[in-house]
Amino acid sequence: MSEFKLTTVEEFEAATNRLLETGAKVGADAWQIRVKNQTPHCKFGESGVCCRICSMGPCRITPKAPRGICGCDVHGIVGRNYLRFTAGGSATHSDHGREIAHTLHEAAADGNYKVKDPDKLMRLAAEFGVETEGRDIYDIAHEVAEVGLMEYGKPFGTLTFTKRAPEHTQEIWDREEIRPRAIDREVSCSLHMTHMGCSSQPEALIRQSLRSGLSDGWGGSMMGTEFSDVLFGTPKEVETEANLGVMVEENVNIVVHGHDPSLSEMICEYADSKEMIDYAKSMGAQGITVSGVCCTSNEVAMRRGIPMAGNFLQQENVVLTGACEAIVVDVQCIFPALGPLSKCFHTKFITTSPVAQMPDSDFIRFNAKTAGENAKAIVKMAIENFKNRNKDLVYIPQMKQKAVVGYSVEQIEKKLDTVTNTHVDVTGTMMPLVDCVKSGVLRGAVAMVGCNNPKIRPDAAHIELMKKLIANDVILVVSGCSAQAAAKAGLMDKRARELCGAGLKRVCELVDIPPVLHMGSCVDISRMMVLASRIAKDSGWNISQIPLVGCAPEWMSEKAVSIGNYVVATGIDTYLGVEPYAYGSSEVDGLLKGGLTDWVEACYTVEQDIEKLGDLMIDKIEEKRAALGI
Amino acid sequence: MLLFDIVFNGNDTMYAEAEKAVNDAVAKYGEDKAVGFPDTAYTLACYYAETGTKITTLKEAKEALTYIKSIMKRDRRLDAAFNSGVATALSAELIEAMKYIDGQQPYEEPYLGHMTDAQIRELGVPLVTGDIPGIAVIINAAPTVEEACALVKSYQAQGNFVCLVGGIIEQLKEAGYKTGFNVRVFPIGENISSVCHAVSAACRTAMIFGNITPGDKKALQEYTFNRFRAFVNAFGPLDEKTVACGAGAIYYGFPVITNDMDYTPVVPKSLIKQPKVEEFNATSLEARDIKIKITNIDIPVAFASAFEGEIIRRKDMQVEFDGSRVDCAELVQTCEMTEIEDHKITVVGPDVDAMELGSKNSIAYVVKVAGKNMQPDFEPVIERKFHNYINCIEGVYHTGQRDMQRIRISIDAFNAGFRLKHIGEVLYAQVKNEFEAVVDKCEVVIYTDPAECSKIRHEVAIPIFNKRDDRLATLTDESVSVYYSCILCQAFSPSHVCVVTPERLGLCGAVSWLDAKATHQLDPNGPCQEITKERPIDENLGAYEDVDEAVQKYSQGALEHVTLYSIMQDPMTSCGCFECICGIEPFSNGVVIANREYAGMTPLGMTFPEMASMTGGGVQTPGFMGHGKHFIGSKKFMKAEGGIERIVWMPKELKEFVADRLNATAKELYGIDNFTDMIGDESVAEDPETLVAFLTEKGHPALSLEPMM
Repeated sequence: MSEFKLTTVEEFEAATNRLLETGAKVGADAWQIRVKNQTPHCKFGESGVCCRICSMGPCRITPKAPRGICGCDVHGIVGRNYLRFTAGGSATHSDHGREIAHTLHEAAADGNYKVKDPDKLMRLAAEFGVETEGRDIYDIAHEVAEVGLMEYGKPFGTLTFTKRAPEHTQEIWDREEIRPRAIDREVSCSLHMTHMGCSSQPEALIRQSLRSGLSDGWGGSMMGTEFSDVLFGTPKEVETEANLGVMVEENVNIVVHGHDPSLSEMICEYADSKEMIDYAKSMGAQGITVSGVCCTSNEVAMRRGIPMAGNFLQQENVVLTGACEAIVVDVQCIFPALGPLSKCFHTKFITTSPVAQMPDSDFIRFNAKTAGENAKAIVKMAIENFKNRNKDLVYIPQMKQKAVVGYSVEQIEKKLDTVTNTHVDVTGTMMPLVDCVKSGVLRGAVAMVGCNNPKIRPDAAHIELMKKLIANDVILVVSGCSAQAAAKAGLMDKRARELCGAGLKRVCELVDIPPVLHMGSCVDISRMMVLASRIAKDSGWNISQIPLVGCAPEWMSEKAVSIGNYVVATGIDTYLGVEPYAYGSSEVDGLLKGGLTDWVEACYTVEQDIEKLGDLMIDKIEEKRAALGI
Repeated sequence: MLLFDIVFNGNDTMYAEAEKAVNDAVAKYGEDKAVGFPDTAYTLACYYAETGTKITTLKEAKEALTYIKSIMKRDRRLDAAFNSGVATALSAELIEAMKYIDGQQPYEEPYLGHMTDAQIRELGVPLVTGDIPGIAVIINAAPTVEEACALVKSYQAQGNFVCLVGGIIEQLKEAGYKTGFNVRVFPIGENISSVCHAVSAACRTAMIFGNITPGDKKALQEYTFNRFRAFVNAFGPLDEKTVACGAGAIYYGFPVITNDMDYTPVVPKSLIKQPKVEEFNATSLEARDIKIKITNIDIPVAFASAFEGEIIRRKDMQVEFDGSRVDCAELVQTCEMTEIEDHKITVVGPDVDAMELGSKNSIAYVVKVAGKNMQPDFEPVIERKFHNYINCIEGVYHTGQRDMQRIRISIDAFNAGFRLKHIGEVLYAQVKNEFEAVVDKCEVVIYTDPAECSKIRHEVAIPIFNKRDDRLATLTDESVSVYYSCILCQAFSPSHVCVVTPERLGLCGAVSWLDAKATHQLDPNGPCQEITKERPIDENLGAYEDVDEAVQKYSQGALEHVTLYSIMQDPMTSCGCFECICGIEPFSNGVVIANREYAGMTPLGMTFPEMASMTGGGVQTPGFMGHGKHFIGSKKFMKAEGGIERIVWMPKELKEFVADRLNATAKELYGIDNFTDMIGDESVAEDPETLVAFLTEKGHPALSLEPMM
């Protein structure tokens, strides 16, 4: 076995620079160039003080013009913008969840989609009050999907999944009037509140931001996670690889990108069929390699071990290899730049969702009923495109790391069971983890999530923070592009335990896990909420007392703000490396970075110095330990 | 109080005691006074393994205190707690070393204190084979004497090696419980500092068998964590020093199980609270992932390898059977499947209760086996295990083999209901267990009727033994087409490979060519694999391309060349559990051989442990080689350097043991009569000058041979 060594950000950058040379040859644009064109960014926008909600404006608040035309002050404007940003993210995740629910509703024994995890379906049925006795599993599935869909528009009551939270958390939500009602209602209500002439009181706007966030994390996202598990299987430990080196020059390379696993699952299924592999061989390739970018990649990596080609800011690199026959996308985080970029190469840019339609793409409309045919057509199109490759442009950086992924809450529980002792312990709990924290073997945990953002040296914040935290015996649960940064660096290789402090190293050895646990895509942050709730229940601590913090050092999307809001509203202090568009208001900024603690026992900390951000998290974890007397 | 703080406090206390002990010793003896434990080549082994520095004087002991202090970090991280645990063990070792200054014997029976290198090497084979599945270190007094005895017995009955520290030793003494190295119950000392002798055993195991470079902390920790299956049972109330030692144990990979429920947190698989003493055993084995091979044999006494070394004295004996005085025999006979009724046990003649107390009797047992893959060549392999099987019965003692065995049954065993058919049960169960791949059916007939025994011995057994001897005599390295590799030891000594040939048995003395062949047959993907010998490089050296390829493969590239017959050129490596070590003696052009049991000095100026420390762990050290006792009489013994005529010195006991075969070989090879008389021993010389004078007087052939170097 070769010596284990992390891949450095410098090595990532050298590979990217080499690819940009290829891009320059063919006259391709790149985000690195566009960032330059867009810098400096508009300060009014960045501080959140620009209001363009009605056509009297746009109004921008300055010391000389402290109020908009309607008389709204800076706090109202920043608060409204913040809430709209949240609603955008909440709507996005939740609509993703809704799509999956519809797919589940289409599932059939002889259909494109089947129930792969009937146990989970049964647990959901019990939670939703769906009768299971003597019923066909697909009848149950359809009714569970329907009950789930009704959560989006239920006229009365609050979201069923919120009952999964510990009592104390639920009491806070009720006390603060932020327990979410119907999922769509919170988005609509947010847009209503921010309409011209509605709310301008920052407290009300931020309160609704929390509720709208919770309707995502404990509603739409959780729906996405749970129903995906029912359809495609609950993730289990699986080996995979990460970084561009997973693409194989001799093979037809299909890259899936986006967030919804329904399409990518089908593509993987067909690309793996003998028929398609034979077809690829007949076209001069040696086989077919499917790899992924962004959260679609996380979904298929977690369930199938499909390799991860890269994360958000690496999406253009995939095309720049010159070896990508097709980049197939569904929804979210897809650069419209891929259209023009693909035209510089032989690459087919295939859009599939009515939600994400883009110029310069081949649109193959994907739906649950015709999923099989659609996927087959896409795989065929990629195979037939192999011959169009310009061999002179092909360069795949030979850089990849091994990763072990698939740590759903269910899998974590199973792993923890392996270190229990049947003569003294019960199984099926989070107690081994709690005991490690109580004894000081582990200092605590950080849930690191989120995107890449050119404002931060890509991946550097994720990787450097993780290295620092694991060296300090802090275990990481990660998702989304953060997870991919970790995997690319090698932090999901079990051998990365050598980089840990003695405590985390021992835990990794005994439990047989890497120090950084991949929990899935960005909707799967809902898994982290369940995990925190389980830990709270088993330890007797409130969630806010657990030595656990959230972190999104390179976040960029509306979804990230929605996530941040539900993580904080669940009681988990959250650390950001990029300012939300809110620092223009001392009141809103003050609430987010402190005042929220009075409401939900947690708040945000924003620190752009990554080294300091790490120290702050460790300090907070130690502070929580001291408060618990452990 | 937080767990880490308890560890830090305990460490501080132990360190302060060590500091005082060393300073007191310096005041009494001066800094140049020699320091060390008896019968070890590793001085203060824990300190040596951790740092690579041997402490030999009080001055060095003082310097060690400075090092120990430097690793006593006080951060709130497990690393600091682990290091403090190690520092506690090292401090304890210094405290203990001070007790041994000036040849003092600080421990009296039942306390044993320091374990010798020879003892550790003796544990090697059983640890490797799993005969000793684990090592239990029990600290402090159990809640009651009964619980103390029951716990120790439970481990012992599974074959585990049990080390005791503190009050439990008095409890066992009070109950009259038999202790000692031979029954695998090793009372170390009264104070918690004496636990360092157990840590020392782990560290020496790593250096002896694992070839861990002293000072390579990381490799040491990985070795003990992954390969040394020890665990700790600590009875409450625990004091801080004990908890600090526990941190050290956990660092090395040894979980701590305690009934002290007051101590704050638990740590999965590492620090486990178990209020029920009766569940300590099962809880501990699970925590250390120790699997016990279940041999549920229906007999009224225990059956475990821990009883293998038990000795039954005449006064404790109900009856004995003695092949040297009356007709006895033990025999495996291959039969047709139809001739055997499986699990049938017949006793022909009187049973023990019909024999007089303290009487000497005849016994002959014939174990009939049948199986599709059974070969007569396996008969002696199975038969040779009888000694081990019968010896593992609690209260039964067995020596010798073939028609010269001696068996004693203790009064206790008899009173517990032990009868002759139980010997049959044991033989049946073990043969079926261990040889399941070749034995499908097994039946045992036990004769005690003197006439029947005479008949079996003279008309059945002896002709078979003679036939076998004839066959063995024809089994030479040249007469077979394959040799066997043996990597049984790799669980312990990861880069060692034995090459077993008919004339060179494994260095542990436990694996002959026939054993290896049988092992290969029993488990085709197991530790013994065929090695062809089709591409010789140098037949005199015993160098073969095939052999080199095999050792490269099975040592994962650690070894490139091995010769079968030379100790100077690419000698075969050792795991560390060899019966004997030979080393070159330059003044006489010969070699000196020492066996593990020999405790004295050799003319090389080294004791057995010191010679043994020159090799082992799978490394090649030209001029030193570990080997089995039986190899000494082989025509292939260092054939490349001239053969057995190079042997100039052996301990008396070993010389007597090998005399017959060695003399026969010398006669055949060189025409020398009574060659062993020419070989020196400790009664002749323990230094090279006296030895050479003796050899010259005897006209020993080595003196006129070419120098070996």
